[in-house]
Amino acid sequence: MKVLKVPAGTIAVFVLPCLLLYVCLVFVPILVSFYSGLLKWDGIANAEFIGLANFRDMFANDPVFWPSVRRTLLYALASMLEIPLCLWMAILLHRYLKNGSRLASIYFTPVILSVVIIGQLWKTIYNPTSMGGMLNGVLVSLGLDSWTHNWLTEPSIAMYSIYLVSLWQYFGYHLLIQYTGVTNIPEEIYEAAKIDGAEGFKADRFITMPLIVPIFKISIVLAFIGSLQAFDMVMVMTGGGPAHATDVISTHMYNSSFLSLKYGYGSAIATFLVAVCLLFTVVINFFFNKLENRYS
Amino acid sequence: MLKFKKGVVYLLFAIPVVTQLYPLLWLLFYSLKTNEEILDGRFFSLPNAPQWQNYKEAYEAGNYLKYLSNSVLVTGVTMICVILLSSMVAYAISRFRWKYGTVVMTVFLMGMMIPMQATLLPLMVIFKNVDILNTHLSLILPYIAFSTPIAVFILSGFMKGIPPEIEESAYIDGASIYRIFRSIIVPVSIPPMMTVCILTFITIWNEYILAATFISSERLKTLPFGVYTFVSQYSVNYGNIGAFLVMGALPVILIYFFLSGQITKGMVAGAVKG
Repeated sequence: MKVLKVPAGTIAVFVLPCLLLYVCLVFVPILVSFYSGLLKWDGIANAEFIGLANFRDMFANDPVFWPSVRRTLLYALASMLEIPLCLWMAILLHRYLKNGSRLASIYFTPVILSVVIIGQLWKTIYNPTSMGGMLNGVLVSLGLDSWTHNWLTEPSIAMYSIYLVSLWQYFGYHLLIQYTGVTNIPEEIYEAAKIDGAEGFKADRFITMPLIVPIFKISIVLAFIGSLQAFDMVMVMTGGGPAHATDVISTHMYNSSFLSLKYGYGSAIATFLVAVCLLFTVVINFFFNKLENRYS
Repeated sequence: MLKFKKGVVYLLFAIPVVTQLYPLLWLLFYSLKTNEEILDGRFFSLPNAPQWQNYKEAYEAGNYLKYLSNSVLVTGVTMICVILLSSMVAYAISRFRWKYGTVVMTVFLMGMMIPMQATLLPLMVIFKNVDILNTHLSLILPYIAFSTPIAVFILSGFMKGIPPEIEESAYIDGASIYRIFRSIIVPVSIPPMMTVCILTFITIWNEYILAATFISSERLKTLPFGVYTFVSQYSVNYGNIGAFLVMGALPVILIYFFLSGQITKGMVAGAVKG
């Protein structure tokens, strides 16, 4: 309902401050970053234009790059895996409790905390037994001494320890999103279905599932795109170590730029990251549009 | 049988309460223990005698109040600017008759998919050149920029639903567009503005990476970065570290305790509308 015809000057007053700030601080840097990806540059001295050489190095010669991409994708997959569980819990919460949102908001508590707090907390939980780590303490008291590990310093398991922390932190977030979706389904539909003989599991399958698809999609997109961008949790917990064993795309970018001072190369990785995020957003939306069409 | 089933379900509900809250409670116990008790490593044990001096020492060794006031300042300024700027754009998009409304909206929406860290490096170079690196401004500006897309999206969605008749009659009565915006639109849009406030608050209050990259002076650090510095520098007394972590978590936990309903609603609304 575009009702107001206002002079161009007024429009400028309303739009320009925000738009200019936004373009200067988000779009201009991204474009600068695309361009810097084509340079050989240490951030200080003269930059040299080298075309796509950074990208060639990245795809062909960098032993850290592809493993970090693989870990990023695994991160995304892992964080999606908990969403069906969250949906199931949300359905149960709605069915068995009058006020499930209170319980859901308890599950939600870790979501509001900074990664610094969460990361440091879990670092202490993951500490070796000699430093009083809780996880190892639990294992020892269960008589599973052989299962104890240095969770963040053993290269083969460090990454999984980080996945677990992210799953833990965002469990309540996805549960609450799903719960809101489930409670928004009108009760009448279930009552009508009950008359037709559909209850419990059958009602879940034929009513809740199709109607929850849009909300389910939101969780999937958030989890997937969020993990593609996964960065601060890894930085806080391991910084990408030990020996690159927990490097994801973003930390590899950060370490290449700020530790190895290869600004051009870091920018090339950043370009790749932006491209991957855009690509997957499009793919996921396409996939869910198909799914929604099939159900409706 | 039915009772048994109910019991199983309740047990199922109890599991996440333990897994989600116990680590936080454990941290609280940890912060009140002596080094010996901590190294003992039992996963459940109350401190023998609460070591309150852990808190006193942590408070004296770190710059807690400085970090806290920096965080309040940076987050507060960001929130005010986000609300003001994005509600103006949202109003222009939802009401003005002009050619580029959809283009502007698309520009904002595209930005939502851009990961913040991809701008880290160029922003640092830009800020160095305009000489605002290591100031609060170097945090506030990108914080505002990255918070506006979702804010514009939420607010314009709401404003499109406001019946235009009130504005029309005010317009006919000779009220200026600024007056209409201030006296009609803003008061009506308080609920979605609360949502935007909550989303911005949680994101910016907790932000760590930009702060750690752009700020180097001790006196300018925000709380998450301050906590990180304290923990990484101060590794002798575990109890003190625990105490500082608890102090770092405390403000947001307190706010959540009183406003959990609004916060969860706001964050879910942000997710669903985004």
